[in-house]
Amino acid sequence: MTDLSADNRTQGPKRKVNLPYLGLLPAWVIMGFALILPIFIIAAVSVSTRGAYGGFDWGVDFAGYRQIIFNEGWSGEMEFTPQYLLIILRTILLAGVTTGICLLLAVPVAYWIASQPGNRKSILVFLVTLPFWMSMILRVYAWMIILGRGGPLPRFLEIFGAQEGLSLMYNDGATLAAMVYTYIPLMVLPVFASIEKLDGTLIEAAHDLYGNRWTTLRRVILPLTAPGIVSGAILVFVPALGAVLEPILMGGGKQMMMGSLIQLQFGGGRNWPFGAAIAMTLLIVVMLVLIVIALRSAQKDREV
Amino acid sequence: MKQLYSATAIALCIGSSAFAEGKLNLYVWSESIAPELIEKFSQENDVEVSVDGYTSNEDLLTKLQAGASGYDIAAPSQHFLRIMIDEGLIQNFGANKLAAYDAIDERWRNQWWDETQEYSIPVAYGTAGFAINTNEYDGPTDSLKYFFEPDSELSGKIAMLSYPDEVVGAAQLYLGVPFCSENPDEMKRVLDLLMAQKEHVAAYSSDNIAGRLSSGEVTAHFWWDGEVVKAKAGGAPVDYAMTKEGIVGWIDSLVIPNGAPNRENAIKFIEFMSTPENATTQMNFYAHSSPVKVIESEMKYTAENAPALFPDVPVEMSRTCSPAAQDLVTRVWTQLLQ
Repeated sequence: MTDLSADNRTQGPKRKVNLPYLGLLPAWVIMGFALILPIFIIAAVSVSTRGAYGGFDWGVDFAGYRQIIFNEGWSGEMEFTPQYLLIILRTILLAGVTTGICLLLAVPVAYWIASQPGNRKSILVFLVTLPFWMSMILRVYAWMIILGRGGPLPRFLEIFGAQEGLSLMYNDGATLAAMVYTYIPLMVLPVFASIEKLDGTLIEAAHDLYGNRWTTLRRVILPLTAPGIVSGAILVFVPALGAVLEPILMGGGKQMMMGSLIQLQFGGGRNWPFGAAIAMTLLIVVMLVLIVIALRSAQKDREV
Repeated sequence: MKQLYSATAIALCIGSSAFAEGKLNLYVWSESIAPELIEKFSQENDVEVSVDGYTSNEDLLTKLQAGASGYDIAAPSQHFLRIMIDEGLIQNFGANKLAAYDAIDERWRNQWWDETQEYSIPVAYGTAGFAINTNEYDGPTDSLKYFFEPDSELSGKIAMLSYPDEVVGAAQLYLGVPFCSENPDEMKRVLDLLMAQKEHVAAYSSDNIAGRLSSGEVTAHFWWDGEVVKAKAGGAPVDYAMTKEGIVGWIDSLVIPNGAPNRENAIKFIEFMSTPENATTQMNFYAHSSPVKVIESEMKYTAENAPALFPDVPVEMSRTCSPAAQDLVTRVWTQLLQ
């Protein structure tokens, strides 16, 4: 397996000089209209003026961005309002913790899968992707049944003396359980791919040089699998930032997340520019994080 | 007329083989119109009916504001109907000259949402309030007090919707604050009430209400009257609280958006929905009250088996708020869930 992937790498793509980009034109057009144009529209909405009943009027007005930090208080004066920042921070924290738990669970799982013989390995990888074949809403509902009153887990705990009618729903733990469950395949797969490429002789070499297991893990395995871990972390962190379903269905929606806040502004709140401004803020935060990660890995490459 | 149709059809859908006269595009609340009525209308008039659904008035408004939606019928609630008339998004189709107009119950005719009743014919009305699980709770339910300031029995066993609209309305009814108040002091009281209630609330969620309430996960849930009636008819141990401070009401009306490609069919459909026979079928399906005359002997839900649909307490219709008032509502909600 190791040899095969090395082969692929050395071969590289065959370069054809004539019309290198023209052939990609359909893809560029689709990308432009489906991905890039909408972002510009959201950016434009975020600096527009709001319509009285939702919608917006083209214009240049930064009220949406100002509203994230300053708002009219109950006494009618402009004051610093931390509530939106709190919601943004809470969302980032939830996404971060989800990513962390996914990472802790995914690395051993991926390592174990990678160490299995070929046939079993493909079956295990298939099993990891299996939940993706089912609608995400259904998977969250399944968790509601597992944790809800009279569900398997509370029943199990009742045997060990928990109070009858116990429900494990509507708290941060329930939210996290569903979030981790939803996103963990996105972490396992890239980590597995990079562990699989890991050259076993390097680990042997580390042991030969009197590296114990911990040192080997820290100095050899982790640095070599870092690209997989980083891309897994990004794949989990970014969608977790926009999670709406799990916090509401599992967490009880008692504390708003950025996703629901944006939804509220575009819906009942009838303040599209503000909703777009929050969405842009989210986008900028994600882009900053990605740029920092990219710069750091580029730096590492140069050091190597 | 035929020529006009052909001309319109050719102009509108070059390349499409079907003629516009045989079509009707509905954009209504998801699963709100009885499928057998769609089928019947389609066969009686040789019309191909397509039905799209929305789940909030805002979705509908957004689509109509974007223009040329291609829909012939929409069904906004009263406060959004008012906005659509004011913003010129829907047609004056002379509703008050139709037979359907005479079928409207006096109570719902020429109200503030359509004073002249030229733009709309109502199709369903109902309320939003507290539903309870009767297996878990047999205490009093005749006041909003038991839900907004619950004692130990309901504490931690209450769930509210995830959107402010009706929830804030109910809090306003309880406090005697007018809907769409622009007075920050009054709205601060609404926030204080909801904040004090929050520690007793298990969840703010508009999804899976039936499951949450009938399983006993929560004991009281903010819900819609018709949903309670349907769940109860299906055997769930639920009931609807008639709170003396009042309940928040809504009424949905059939309207014709500007630029509707099949206006004549739309009018036919509105007349069709308002005949006593069809209105009865519709009410039996939707389980929300009918604002037009129905055949009482064929009603599935009556005052006896579905008292939720026949409230004996004041029903206060949601209003169209000014942006300033709406901002206060949004502010209450964000501070509540910050």
